[in-house]
Amino acid sequence: MNTLLVMIGGATLLFAAGLWLSLPRGRAPGRALGAVLVAAGLGLFAAETISLGSALADVVFYLIAGLTVLSAVATISFRNPVYSAIWFALSLLGTAGLFLFNGAQFLGVATIVVYAGAILVTFLFVLMLAQPEGQAPYDRVSWAAPLSAVSGALLVGLLTFVLADVFQNPIVEERPVAQVSETELVEGVLADQHMATLGRWLFGRQLVSIEVIGTLLLVALVGAVAVVGQIHHRERGGPMHG
Amino acid sequence: MDWESLMQPLILPLVKIALLIFIMMTAAAYLVLLERWIAAWVQDRKGPNRVGIPLTKIRMFGLGQPLADGLKFIFKEEYTPGHVEKVLYTLAPLSIMAAALAVFAVVPIGDVLPIELPGTSGPIQLIVAPHIDVGMIYIFALSSIAVYGVILGGWSSNNKYGFLGALRSSAQLIAYEIPLGLGILGVVLAAGSLRLDAIIYAQAETGLWNVFAQPLGFSVFVIAAFAEAARLPFDLPEAEQELIGGYHTEYAGMKLLLFLIAEFLHMVVAAFLIVILFLGGWHFWGMTVDASQPIGWPMAIARIAILAIKVLLVIVFFMMVRWSWPRFRFDQLMNLAWKVMLPLGLVNLVALTIAYEYEYVNDLDGTTRGLWIMVAVGWAVALVSWVLAAVFSPLHTDNRPRRDVTDAPEYEYEPETLRQILATGTQRASANGP
Repeated sequence: MNTLLVMIGGATLLFAAGLWLSLPRGRAPGRALGAVLVAAGLGLFAAETISLGSALADVVFYLIAGLTVLSAVATISFRNPVYSAIWFALSLLGTAGLFLFNGAQFLGVATIVVYAGAILVTFLFVLMLAQPEGQAPYDRVSWAAPLSAVSGALLVGLLTFVLADVFQNPIVEERPVAQVSETELVEGVLADQHMATLGRWLFGRQLVSIEVIGTLLLVALVGAVAVVGQIHHRERGGPMHG
Repeated sequence: MDWESLMQPLILPLVKIALLIFIMMTAAAYLVLLERWIAAWVQDRKGPNRVGIPLTKIRMFGLGQPLADGLKFIFKEEYTPGHVEKVLYTLAPLSIMAAALAVFAVVPIGDVLPIELPGTSGPIQLIVAPHIDVGMIYIFALSSIAVYGVILGGWSSNNKYGFLGALRSSAQLIAYEIPLGLGILGVVLAAGSLRLDAIIYAQAETGLWNVFAQPLGFSVFVIAAFAEAARLPFDLPEAEQELIGGYHTEYAGMKLLLFLIAEFLHMVVAAFLIVILFLGGWHFWGMTVDASQPIGWPMAIARIAILAIKVLLVIVFFMMVRWSWPRFRFDQLMNLAWKVMLPLGLVNLVALTIAYEYEYVNDLDGTTRGLWIMVAVGWAVALVSWVLAAVFSPLHTDNRPRRDVTDAPEYEYEPETLRQILATGTQRASANGP
């Protein structure tokens, strides 16, 4: 328990320092050192989690997870926002890969469709159209770098600590978390009717929440159209054209 | 770890992937030849008919042309212009190619092969990832990744033609994804699954292909698929007369080849989807279909052949349309997507939902009477909404200047400027000096 706390604490410190060094802070040097520290912190975090049981699964999982986290770090440490967006897309693909790896097929592909396919493409449009000559100096630095580095590292450290603690001291009587029984998996996420099961659950048990979320999005859309329409109206000085 | 335990998770998928990539690359090369032959036939020319076996006089109807073209692309100088963003410039063709190939992971190229391999259970399914239950959404996700290749290619080229092409292309792809999805939803509703093989089985068991039950969904889907594949009449991203080559203007050599192959693969995927979703996949009337019975070799090969022939026919249709229809103007393209295709797709979906709910409530699912009701509803909705769209939709084919734009105050010239334009022929003549 105590060694775990020390290990995670050290990893968090390393990770925070690395993050701070690699964030764009004007002309401050040490970005290479920052990358090394980030990698070291992540390695320490990974050392506290457990093996998944088979070598193949381990390799695949840690490859995807490492790719996801490292591209997330790259997202916030690159100066050119277009590159940041591309790294963010890679991080999303990694997240989708982790979902798929765990059998949550719908979540995996929905992550790609919604985030990478719709939201991020819009970001890219804006970035590419807005600043064709390059970014203004105040857009090239990250604001409150130490604070954000520390809070980010703390979040990752806390989550890893909780997870590692659960792995090492299982709460459910003597059953390690990673070894869910075969039948549970087959009936749950690995079911052939995965999508039908999920759909039935979403539109049966969760019907009200789904409807509320849908209405919320619709209201946002109507609001956006209303705002645009007002601007249009003011500029034309007349009734809206179709 | 013995090799039999690796068969199912590793060896079989890798063999399938290797075979699939080989088939798709060869098919893309020879489809280019087919496209050039069809183009020549339409335009009353001979087309490529010379390249045969090198150093002999054997021509083989020009069947060596794809190999010669490939060699030419490989030996071309790998030229990177000095003004591009090098990293993204290299990344763009790779990402679009990867997305185009990855789509085939969930596309069945037949039914099953009756082989029992050690370490596997049951016959081999002719689909790379048979356990993906969200096949249609997966294809959607990857086609939205393909947009990245186009945007990055156009932007990183640092060329105005390239960027304009990329903007047009991504706007077009995003707009037509919506009618495409609406067309798919009707089929998913009919089959009750997002898996492509399940959709084929649903059609094979009733013998009623979706094209007969959902003609409106079929038209919406086919038109949107043409736009998604950026084929004429929707090839605005690379309209040669306007944009040189669109987003791949600055590309040459292998990178250009990757873009071109990816475009062809998009068309092949579209053809596969049209056949699988609406034209019954590997099913043809007179075939015995029973999902629980194992099939023999003749049936397995027949199913592969039927699917391949159907896909080839649809691809030939794509190629014939290319020489039959003029390209849309961009506002016509957008009008078609948002003001015609989207409402038609919605009408189709709502009508189908009501019809299926009616059948479900009255316990008509799968009966002959239920099938007739579906066909009647499908055709009635298709005819009525098509006529309504034809009568009431705005006139997109009008090529005169739009009055609401040209009469707007900000587009009118000041009298002074107008006189200048009339006198000198240019607007900026005085600003730039004589």
